[in-house]
Amino acid sequence: MYVQIKNLQYQYKNSTEPTIKDFSLTMEKGEIVTILGESGSGKSTILRLLAGLETAKSGSISIDGNRIMDDKSFIPPDKRGVGMVFQDYALFPHMTVATNIKYGLRKMSRRQKHQRLEEMLELINMTEYKDRYPYELSGGQQQRVALARALAPAPSLLVFDEPFSNLDANLQVKIRDELRSILKRTGITSIFVTHDQADAKVLADRIVFIENGRIQRIGPPDEILGCASLLMWANS
Amino acid sequence: MKLQRRNQQINVWAILSFFLIIVILLPNLVIGVNFFAPANDNWEHIKEYLLLDIISNTVLILIFTGIATTLIGTSLAWIITVYKFPLRNFFKWGLILPLAIPPFIGAYTYHGIVNYTGIIQATLRNSFDIFIDQKYVNIMSIEGTIFIFTLFLYPYVYVMTKSFFENQSASLVENARLLGGNSWEVFFRVILPISRAAIIGSVTIVMLEIINDYGVVKYFGIQTFITAIFQTWFAMSDIEAAFKLAGTLMIVVIIILLLEKIIRGRKRFSYSTTKVRPIQAKQLKGKKAWFAFSYCFLIFGFAFLIPFLQLLQWAVMTYEKILNWDFLILVKNSFTVAAIAAILIVIIALIIANYTRIHQTFFSKIISRITILGYSIPGAIIAIGIITIFLALDDMMYAAFTFFGSDPAFILRTSLIMLVSAYIIRFLAVGYNNIEAGFEKVGNTFTEASTTLGTSSLGTFFKVDIPLIKGAIIGGFILVFVDILKELPLTMLLQPFNFSTLATRAFRYANDEMISEAASASLLIIFISGICIFFFHKVLDKGEQG
Repeated sequence: MYVQIKNLQYQYKNSTEPTIKDFSLTMEKGEIVTILGESGSGKSTILRLLAGLETAKSGSISIDGNRIMDDKSFIPPDKRGVGMVFQDYALFPHMTVATNIKYGLRKMSRRQKHQRLEEMLELINMTEYKDRYPYELSGGQQQRVALARALAPAPSLLVFDEPFSNLDANLQVKIRDELRSILKRTGITSIFVTHDQADAKVLADRIVFIENGRIQRIGPPDEILGCASLLMWANS
Repeated sequence: MKLQRRNQQINVWAILSFFLIIVILLPNLVIGVNFFAPANDNWEHIKEYLLLDIISNTVLILIFTGIATTLIGTSLAWIITVYKFPLRNFFKWGLILPLAIPPFIGAYTYHGIVNYTGIIQATLRNSFDIFIDQKYVNIMSIEGTIFIFTLFLYPYVYVMTKSFFENQSASLVENARLLGGNSWEVFFRVILPISRAAIIGSVTIVMLEIINDYGVVKYFGIQTFITAIFQTWFAMSDIEAAFKLAGTLMIVVIIILLLEKIIRGRKRFSYSTTKVRPIQAKQLKGKKAWFAFSYCFLIFGFAFLIPFLQLLQWAVMTYEKILNWDFLILVKNSFTVAAIAAILIVIIALIIANYTRIHQTFFSKIISRITILGYSIPGAIIAIGIITIFLALDDMMYAAFTFFGSDPAFILRTSLIMLVSAYIIRFLAVGYNNIEAGFEKVGNTFTEASTTLGTSSLGTFFKVDIPLIKGAIIGGFILVFVDILKELPLTMLLQPFNFSTLATRAFRYANDEMISEAASASLLIIFISGICIFFFHKVLDKGEQG
């Protein structure tokens, strides 16, 4: 298995109950998994644990055979090679689109960096915007740049935290189709976190439904989205 | 990929922060330890004949200035926030301007205005043949001291309560109005109680400023802790007694800080909702508008315009004599030490603030608290602690030089290192607060984004964090720079031989009864501080609204 997450436990310092309880998941290379859950269900925390922004109490994570964290060891986020697209994109406001995308590129010659930049710009179809600053872009454009920036260093795993929550509803539909096709084209393994069932349905190869930090169900979209507890949740 | 042992991540930021905090605490520890050393005769003498006077003077000044600044500061803040009247937009930041005048400059200026040869009495005498009994115009008294401190320190209360009022939901005030209270009732029964925390916080700052002051009380001849410390230290070279005084003063400071905590209690009123609607200012008409205008103008006049014009007149009288090469050296001295200390403070503040924001642990919270505490410690106490430490270091270095056969010299006690270190300890909190607020505003997401893109925390610090809070860094630098420019007691105690700043020279002139000669240096200080205040409260305020 490409990604192996075993028995992840996480607890915030001031809380009495663990936020994440016994979270396990395996993923194939190139698979897209969506973690679906209400706000406060702990789904974003899982992404932060994967990226190394939080440290789990126990459990282990391996990607492509490399152990990136367990009870004894911890690889810091800058050395993990897990990319993340943030909810508010977090594009560096003092850098242009091009500098933002090139930010994560290391150990490359100038020409290679430039080549990678052009590739990414083409992928997100924004070549003519490369000298703009983030505040000069629309929400959808910002999101595409955030995607390109995270994709550029070719991470082993890419995670998305509520990527559509800041977009207009009609834009959301267009962008998520586009996003799925880009991800499938690059063949990158990725995890999405969302509370929107429609998003989950379009994007995911498999859906993980969590409640109160615990996995309730895992399976393909048709199977998961039909189940009773989810229907109740959707109607509540 | 290299695995790191989980519990062995050496955190450079934590180590640096810890080390810096120790350096900051050291002078205070020196005072604390020496406070318990056995007393000498001098101290017994001071305790028997002076201490009671010192304490009663200090308490009187603290209480009455506290009350007066509260009344003036909150009433001005209230009028400016809820009413529209002529020149309100000018007064909004103009009423902060008195902060640009260090109280000791205000003190000698007012003395120059009201004394026998001053403009008021001279005019009355020469034009109207009126003679005033000198006992009615003796400003060099406890009352005069309270008057001076009130005029030049009330802006602390004004600024803090104003921003509190502005951030309060308008509905509270509107509700109180609807329930049938008139303006006075709303002010006393609703506004004062809910803004208690802001008022207490700002009055505490006023009190700490008073305790720190040397210039006003020395010039007016009022015996307080700081003047006594200067006397025992300078005139009597009695270090033990100075330690005792400093220790006692520390206790006073701790009492004030504890009182603040107790009175403030858990009543930190603030809204959990982000939808805070600012209070809509009501247009005043006719007599009421003129009353509001006159009140603001009166305070502005006494606290800024009158002393400023008087200084201007003196400066015009004396500038030919004063503005020479020597004055330029003063300017250069002041700017250099202030700039060096401010740069170092900004760097230290950045390191500590970056650590405490990323690692929200118990340890980091303590570090953050201690950093802020430095501002509560009066300059004279820091100076004594610093001197003690540096003399010991110097002796050690002297011994080391002798041991290795090179020509020994006392390096530290004759250099600016002592002065700059003391500035850092005293004003670190000013820079830190600004930079911490900057970090808070930006949030942690950009930093996290940068690390997930493979940049180390140090690389992130330079490439992302610093550019994003550039404004806060510059702001912190300016605030510290101005504070150091105005600083008196620390500089008086620690300036090397043959080294003066604008502030210490102005004070020496004034103390030698060369008041008009002190005007040029004073005006330059006021001018630079004034520009910074204008920049902060006018330009930045606009920026936030737009």
